[in-house]
Amino acid sequence: MDSSRWTRAGIGLAAGAALGIVLYAIGQAWPMAGAVGFIAAHLVYALVTRSQTGEWGPLRLSAGLVAFAVATYVGIIVFGNFGDPNAVDPVTYANTKAANSWALILTVAMVIGVVVTYGLELIQTGRLASLSGQFGTRTYLLMAVGIGVNIILGQTVASALKIPIYLDSIGTILVGVLCGPIAGAITGGLGNILWSYVIPPPFQYQPAAAFAITAVAIGAIAGLLGRAGFLRPRPNRSTGVLLIGGAVTVGLVGGLAWAASLAYTKIFETEISLFPDPAKVDAIFVVLGWLALGLVVFAVVGLFALLLLRRDLTAAYVVVAGVLTGIVAALISAPIAAGVFGGVTASGTDFLVAAFRQAGLDVEAATTGQGLISDPIDKVTTFFTVYLILAALATRFKARFPQGEMVLEEAPS
Amino acid sequence: MLAAVSTALAIGLGGIWGPALLTAVAVLLPAVVAGLAARLVRTALLLTLPIAVSVLVVNLFFYPAGREILFAIGPVRATAEGLAFALETLARIGAISGAITLFYLTTPAGDLVLDLERRGVSPRIAFVVLAAVQTVPALVDRAVAITAAQRARGLDTEGSLRRRLRGVLPLAGPVLLGSITEVEERTMALEARGFTRPGRRTLLWHPPDSGRQAAARWLLVAAIPLMLAARASGWLGWLG
Amino acid sequence: MLTFESVSYRYAGAARASLQDVGLVIGSGEVIGLVGASEAGKTTLCLVAAGLAPRTVRGTLIGRILLDGTDIAPLAIHELAGRVGIAFANPATQLSGVAGTVYEEVAFGPMNLGLSRSEVIDRTEAALSALKIIDLAEREPALLSGGQQQLVAMAGLLALRPAHLVLDEPTAQLDPRGTRLVAEALARLAVDGASILVAEQKTDLLASICDRVVALDAGRVALDGPAGEVLGDPRLADLGVAAPASVRLRRLADAAGPGPEALTQLDGALAMEATA
Repeated sequence: MDSSRWTRAGIGLAAGAALGIVLYAIGQAWPMAGAVGFIAAHLVYALVTRSQTGEWGPLRLSAGLVAFAVATYVGIIVFGNFGDPNAVDPVTYANTKAANSWALILTVAMVIGVVVTYGLELIQTGRLASLSGQFGTRTYLLMAVGIGVNIILGQTVASALKIPIYLDSIGTILVGVLCGPIAGAITGGLGNILWSYVIPPPFQYQPAAAFAITAVAIGAIAGLLGRAGFLRPRPNRSTGVLLIGGAVTVGLVGGLAWAASLAYTKIFETEISLFPDPAKVDAIFVVLGWLALGLVVFAVVGLFALLLLRRDLTAAYVVVAGVLTGIVAALISAPIAAGVFGGVTASGTDFLVAAFRQAGLDVEAATTGQGLISDPIDKVTTFFTVYLILAALATRFKARFPQGEMVLEEAPS
Repeated sequence: MLAAVSTALAIGLGGIWGPALLTAVAVLLPAVVAGLAARLVRTALLLTLPIAVSVLVVNLFFYPAGREILFAIGPVRATAEGLAFALETLARIGAISGAITLFYLTTPAGDLVLDLERRGVSPRIAFVVLAAVQTVPALVDRAVAITAAQRARGLDTEGSLRRRLRGVLPLAGPVLLGSITEVEERTMALEARGFTRPGRRTLLWHPPDSGRQAAARWLLVAAIPLMLAARASGWLGWLG
Repeated sequence: MLTFESVSYRYAGAARASLQDVGLVIGSGEVIGLVGASEAGKTTLCLVAAGLAPRTVRGTLIGRILLDGTDIAPLAIHELAGRVGIAFANPATQLSGVAGTVYEEVAFGPMNLGLSRSEVIDRTEAALSALKIIDLAEREPALLSGGQQQLVAMAGLLALRPAHLVLDEPTAQLDPRGTRLVAEALARLAVDGASILVAEQKTDLLASICDRVVALDAGRVALDGPAGEVLGDPRLADLGVAAPASVRLRRLADAAGPGPEALTQLDGALAMEATA
C-alpha cells in the first residue's frame, strides 16, 4: 500500500478504535463495541478515500457492510437472544432453532449487504463492472479446480487424519484472492453443497452443506483481503521494518485473542482461563492450557524466525489474515455445529468439543471454544499455503486473473 | 428436492420417533420402490458410522447434564441423558444421511445440472459444477500417476507414517500446481470454442419431467412450513 | 482468406515484441507450414491468427488481421470461434472437462454457439466422420490415448465449421503412433480443401502436406515460399530448423558424390547422422 493509503487506513482505524472504546465505556458488550468500531473504521477510511481520490468503491463496500451489520442486528433481535441459556432445550441442550435462525439471518444479511454494495454501483455507474470483472473463463476454471482441491484435502483431513483442523478452504481462499470476493464466496458455498450432495463416496462428506455459509464468508473475506493487497510479496525489507511488523502482528493477534476470550466468558457466563486452578477443573484442562500456551509461544517464535529468515514482510500479513478469517469462521460455524450436529462432525475436532463439555459447558459454548482454537490455526495454515502456491506461479499467469495484480510484487518506484 | 426437504424436516423435528418415522417414509420407502434398499443401507451405514461412533462416545460420556449414571469406565461415566441425546441425534443424522444417500444413488450429477441449466441456471455455473465434480477423480488420478513416477525415481512410499507424510509433500506440490497452471491453456481452448458467448447454449438432452413430478415437488415444499407450524403449536406430540 | 498486415505483437509486461512486422496471406484451401526455432514466434503467430492474442492472453497488437477483407479487431473471441479454430500441443488440456463422451465433447462448441439442436447433431456427426473417429463416439475422452484425444480436439474444432484451422505443434506431445494418426488426419483434411496453418518442428510432416512453408526468425518472416523450396533451403539450419529426412538424405548423397566409394562414405555419413 502506498503511504497515502496507509494514512487513510490509519485515520479510519483511529476513528474506529475511538468509537469502540467509547461504546465499551458506556456499557456496551465487547463484541458489539468491536463490530461497530470496525464498521466505523471502514466507513471513515472510505469517506477519506472518496474525498482524497474520488474513488467510490470503498464507500460502496462500506455501505454494504453497514447494511449487513444492521440486518444481522435486526435479525438477532427479532429471533431473540440465542446465547441465552433459557432458549436452550434443557433436555437435549441443543438449540436447533438458534442454529437454523443463525444461518438464515447470516445468509439474508449477506445477501442484503451484497445487494446494497452492487446495487449502489449499478445505480451510480449503470453497470456492474466490479462484479462481472471478477468472472471470466479463467475464474470459472479456477473455481472448479478450487472446489476439487477443497474437497480432496478436506476429506483427507476429516477422515484420515484426526487433527483439529480442516484444510478445506485452500481452494476457496485461492479463488477469492485471485478473482474477487463474490467469486471466492461462490466457490466456498457451491463447493460445500457439492461436497455434501453431489460428490460420490468416498469423497462425500455429508455435514459439509450445513457449513456452506461459513465457506461463503471465508471466500468473501479472502477476496477483500486479496484486493487490499494482503498477499502481495514484500521481500527484502529492512530488519527494523520486519521486527515492527512482527510486533504489530503479535499485538494484533494477541489483542484479538484476548478480546475473543473476554467475549466468550461474558456471553457464555463461564470462566475459562489459560491457567485454571487444578483443584477445580479436571487435569485435562490444565494440560490443554499449557499446550495452548506452548503453541502460542512456538507460533510467535516461528513468526519472527520466518520474518527474519525470508525477509518477507508478508508473513506477518498472512498471519493476521488467517487469524481474522479464522475467528469469523469460528463464530459463524459454532452455532451450526452445536445446533445441527450436537457438536460432533466426525472430524478430529470432536475430541476438543468433548473436552470442553467435560468441563461443564453446554454444546454451544463447547463448539465456539473449539472453533476459536481450530479455525485460526486452520486458516493461518491455509493462507500460508495459498501464499506459497502463489509464489510458485509465474507472474504472467497471475497477472491475467482479475485480482492478479494485487498479488504481484510492486514495481520499484 | 426430496433430499433437501427431508434434511430440513429432520432438523426441525425433535425427539427420536419423529426422525425415525421420517426415515422410514421418505427414505426407505422410495429406496425399496427403486430397488436400491440394500445398497442404500450399506452406503449410508458406511458413511454415518464414523459420525455415529463419535456422537455416541462424546455424548454418552461427556454429557454435562447427565445425572443418571449407567456405568463407569475408569474416570469417565456414561449417563442416561447422554444416551438419550445421543440416540436422538443419531436418529436425526440417520434421516439426513439416508436422504442424501438416496439422492446420490438415484440422481446422476450430470442429469441434475442439465435440468437446472434447462430451467435457467447460467451455463457457466453449470460448467463449474460439472468441472468441479470431474476434478476430484482427475486430481486423484494425477496424484497416482505422479506417485508412480516418483517411485520410479526412488521415492519411498511405504514405510513409517512419518516417511509417508514426508513423501506426501513432493506429491502435493506438483498435483496442486499442475492443476492450477493448466488453467491458462484450458482457458484458451475453451474461449476458442465459444465458451464466452453470452446467453444460453443448446442442450442436446435433459432429464424428462412430468406433471406428477412437479406436483410432488410442490407438496414437498409445502411440507416444511406445515411442519414448522405443527411443531410450534405443539400438535405433533410424541413425533416432535 | 486470412491476411496479416504488418503485424507486431508484444505480450503484456514483455521486454521485446514476439512478432515484428509480419506480413502473411493464407488463402482458402491453402495448407501452410510454419517453422522456426523455439522462441521464434510460432505460437504467438498462431494465437494472433485465432484472435486469442490479444483478447485472452493480453498484449498489444499493432497492425491488422483481416478475415476475407474485414478487420477482426472489433470481434469478440466467441465471435471468432466459428471463423478460426485453433488446436494446441497438449491434447488433455483441450478437453472441456465436462463431457462424458466424445460425442458430447465434439458437440461442445456448437452447443456453446446456440445453434439449433438438429444443426448441432449434424455438425457433430460430420466432424466425427471427417476425422474417422465415429467409433470413438461413446468413449470417455479422458481415457483415450494422446493421439486420439488430439483427433477429438480437432473434431471439436471442425464442428464449428471455421474458415481456417490453425494448429500449434499438434504432434509435439504425442508418441509416434499418435503423430501418425494426426498426420493422416491432416492429410485428409488438406485433400478435402481445408485451409490450414500448422506450426511444427517435424518438417517431415510438413513436407508431405504443405503447399507453402513460412520460416520465422526472432519474430520476423525469414522465408516464405513453396514447400519444396523453403524446406530445401540451406538457410533453414541457421534458423534452428531441421530439414526433412528426404532433404537431408539428398544432401548426404550429393556430398558423397558418384562412384562405389560414395556408398561407403554415404554409409558412414548416415551412421553419423543417426547418432547426431
